[in-house]
Amino acid sequence: MSKEQAAERLTAPVTELHVNGNRVTVCAEPSKRLLHVLRDDLLLTGTKRSCEIGRCGACMVLLDGRPVNACLAMLYQCSGSAVITVEGVAPQKSGELDPIQQAFLEEGGYQCGYCTPGMVISVKALLDFSPEPTDAEIVEALSGNICRCTGYGGILRAVRRAVELRRAERS
Amino acid sequence: MLLNRKNSGERWRIRPDGPGKVTGAMEYLTDMALPGMLVGLVLRSPYPHAAIRSIHVDQARKQPGVRAVLTHADMPGLNAYGIAIQDQPVLCHDRVRYVGDAVAAVAAETLEQAERALAAIEVDYEQLPVLDSPAKALAEDADLLHPHGNVLHRNAYKTGDVEQAFANCAHIVEETYCTPRQMHTYMETEGGLFVPETDGRLTVYAPTQHGFMDRLQLSRILAMPQGDIRVVSSPIGGSFGGKDELNIQPYGALLAMKTGYPVRIHNSRWESVRAGLKRHPMVITMRTGVDEEGHLIAHQVRVTADTGPYATLGAEVLNFATEHVTGPYQYANVDVESLSVFTNNGMSGEFRGFGGNQAIFALEGQMDRLAECLGMDPWMFRRLNLRAADDPGPFGQPIVRTDGAEQVWRALHDSRLWRERQAAIERKPSIACMPTGNPPTGLRDCYQGNSESKLPWLKEGIGAAYVMHGAGLGVGIPDPAGGRLQLAQDGRIEALFGYEEFGQGLIATLELMLIETFGLAAEDIRIRIGDTDVVPDSGSSTASRATSMMWKAVQNMRMPFMSALLEAAGRLLHRNPGQLHMGRGGIYGRADHGGAEQKLLLPYRALAAATEEPLTAETRFSYPVSPVDRVGAHFLYTYAAVAVKVEVNTLTGRVRVIDQFHTVAAGPVMNPQGYLGQIEGGSSMALGFTLTEDAIMSGGHYVTRNLDTYLVPTIAEQTGQVDVLPIEDLPPGDSHGPRGIGEIGSVGLAPAIAAAVRQAVGKWVCKLPIDPAELQERPYFTQKAVAVHE
Repeated sequence: MSKEQAAERLTAPVTELHVNGNRVTVCAEPSKRLLHVLRDDLLLTGTKRSCEIGRCGACMVLLDGRPVNACLAMLYQCSGSAVITVEGVAPQKSGELDPIQQAFLEEGGYQCGYCTPGMVISVKALLDFSPEPTDAEIVEALSGNICRCTGYGGILRAVRRAVELRRAERS
Repeated sequence: MLLNRKNSGERWRIRPDGPGKVTGAMEYLTDMALPGMLVGLVLRSPYPHAAIRSIHVDQARKQPGVRAVLTHADMPGLNAYGIAIQDQPVLCHDRVRYVGDAVAAVAAETLEQAERALAAIEVDYEQLPVLDSPAKALAEDADLLHPHGNVLHRNAYKTGDVEQAFANCAHIVEETYCTPRQMHTYMETEGGLFVPETDGRLTVYAPTQHGFMDRLQLSRILAMPQGDIRVVSSPIGGSFGGKDELNIQPYGALLAMKTGYPVRIHNSRWESVRAGLKRHPMVITMRTGVDEEGHLIAHQVRVTADTGPYATLGAEVLNFATEHVTGPYQYANVDVESLSVFTNNGMSGEFRGFGGNQAIFALEGQMDRLAECLGMDPWMFRRLNLRAADDPGPFGQPIVRTDGAEQVWRALHDSRLWRERQAAIERKPSIACMPTGNPPTGLRDCYQGNSESKLPWLKEGIGAAYVMHGAGLGVGIPDPAGGRLQLAQDGRIEALFGYEEFGQGLIATLELMLIETFGLAAEDIRIRIGDTDVVPDSGSSTASRATSMMWKAVQNMRMPFMSALLEAAGRLLHRNPGQLHMGRGGIYGRADHGGAEQKLLLPYRALAAATEEPLTAETRFSYPVSPVDRVGAHFLYTYAAVAVKVEVNTLTGRVRVIDQFHTVAAGPVMNPQGYLGQIEGGSSMALGFTLTEDAIMSGGHYVTRNLDTYLVPTIAEQTGQVDVLPIEDLPPGDSHGPRGIGEIGSVGLAPAIAAAVRQAVGKWVCKLPIDPAELQERPYFTQKAVAVHE
């Protein structure tokens, strides 16, 4: 660590937030983007960097339950908030998947996988809000997530499958 | 049978790389980090064309946290790269030729420090005239961008005498087609981690589509033996051809070797846009004539491609376009001339479809226009001129015989969507088929489906297009293939290939191939790819070639590998190897009457533990080529046909796709989920190419800088059903197996949409992406008022 880095570390304010259920404190500029806090400070690289202008959804996370592009959220805006990233979607028990993740696997709702974490988060936000969404609701909920590989066919099938799996889980 | 999960049964499998992707646990190469790593940045030219008078880096080197600032003066080896021709400077010396040109590279402890260092580099430029179009670059008094001039490459193909033939044509259609500067828009921008190892070697973790080619290029640049460089090139967050050429690797490698620290580079989207490759914008003029019966007798084509400042694979793309402007049709007289021109625009290069997309958009447009002139059904017109199975290829070269051309023609003809079109036309024969006066007016089909119930400004149409697409690199280009199978110490059967996984599903395809070839369980298999220290060179993961080559390699290795394992097992078990066979988990016995015993005799783990010598099989061969002296000519082709139904809103001029049918003749489906994904995903890429995507440049500068203005399809644009019908039959005795499908899905939709738009609103589209203004009509409710007023 250089002197300058060390000085920054000493002077940077501490922000507290809850990430995937764990309380964390981050020493960084309050204007630092949540995306970089997650990837560089907390080493949660499941949240992906792509357009950094809130257009592509690759960095989507849940901020107090609502989908937010982490590239547009500054650290201070997340102070005291609960952040869920793709790493925190599944139950913390080993090997278990969320039904949404299971559905993406079964239907092949991904190829290169780089948009997938953001997709999973957006689908979770949708289904938590509307467990039996119409196709129009699915389209609206995912229109901020760009996938360049699949043409969205597999993603739509995965969302429909996730609805089924979650329904089965509820009953 | 349509391709989907239900129809695929047990062959529809969860990808081995899937769990890591859906949980975010899989580490992409741009996710990697090491303690103490530095951040690398590249200073790029602010001008499309300028002379460099001086570069001063003293101030930059003094900035806090800065560990290295490199310019052309610091190059240890060749200051140039390019897969085919090394004419692109790593760090520019006396001139910059586009806004992505690199002038300096910086490594610092933090991103902010690196940014400050970049800002402190002083470069004195003298701006030069910007050649921002092929026309300007070809002008007699234009500056020369390279010593040999402003033409990268010319190609031509001629047979017969077109001028004489045109004199005998009953109908001639001449049209000029323009295609956009499409961007790959892989979601993961270029980047990676570069690690100088303690033994003096360098490890490069950076996406590419041919790790060994990167290793070769980096060895020239670094002046290091290839063996001292390890390239780890997989997994990749999308590529589509765009990461095949070097991008940030030279800078990361140079900075790491200079500083002795790991260096991470990860492009911002804007940096990716300005420096990265795009699809060649092409202007294609075609003049095509038929006789009274509709036989194609003359086809004249002129292609001009804007290749940008440096070669990369511009010449090869042009060769591909030259080959594909004639397509699956037979003509007595052909005259093609093509030209790829250096400009000060962005770099053009390899992109899924490789020049076929542009060529086939133009060609199929000609077919629809000619059919209309003749008053013929467009699909019957194509049938009339379609190649026979034994006909030579587009360059007159021998090609491997399949019935693909006929098969996809038939499948589309019989498809639900095409039948819907035919039924809708026949319902209103007076509009559809009444010949009036001279062509080309008056013979247009009108789609009369259910449009009566729609709002009057919404018009529907159905169109179709035909694709014949070559795979492999073609004649005259080294196109090696091969792989290795081995029984590892821990009892896993390892498959080693020099390919990369960028989403296409190569790992899953290979796993299924091994399961089906050797009767293995997924747990028996370990697949290793994309690491030059470990795998054999299998050639590039490009040109729709990897699945074909893996299949061939597994066929070649099947008997030797099986024999090696069974003989070793036979010695251990004291049984005749002929009575043993491989299966899930290990070696099983065969009963005397030939039936398989269900008893596992020897697990693979036990076999590995008890065997001294390595049990392995390896194969090396090349992608098959046509016996012809014509660089780039292809030998293996895939055939596809696409039908599409669109709705045109004549108030907004917007086109919405509402139904698609794709049929592909590519031999057996190796991996149903991967196949479906390639065709659906390719089609989505074609949708963007047709309707919204264009990296707009003005005066050599990008106007389009990010995804707010570069519009790839979202789920909201990707509307309607997509049916995919694979045709798996191959002729008896075919030894080439599955053909490539990675690119063909991205080709046919554009001309099919153009045909559907014509049917919907009577307008021919010849420039992509379709400008909505071309399709807008005066609102119908104002027409009466205007008529009164006039």
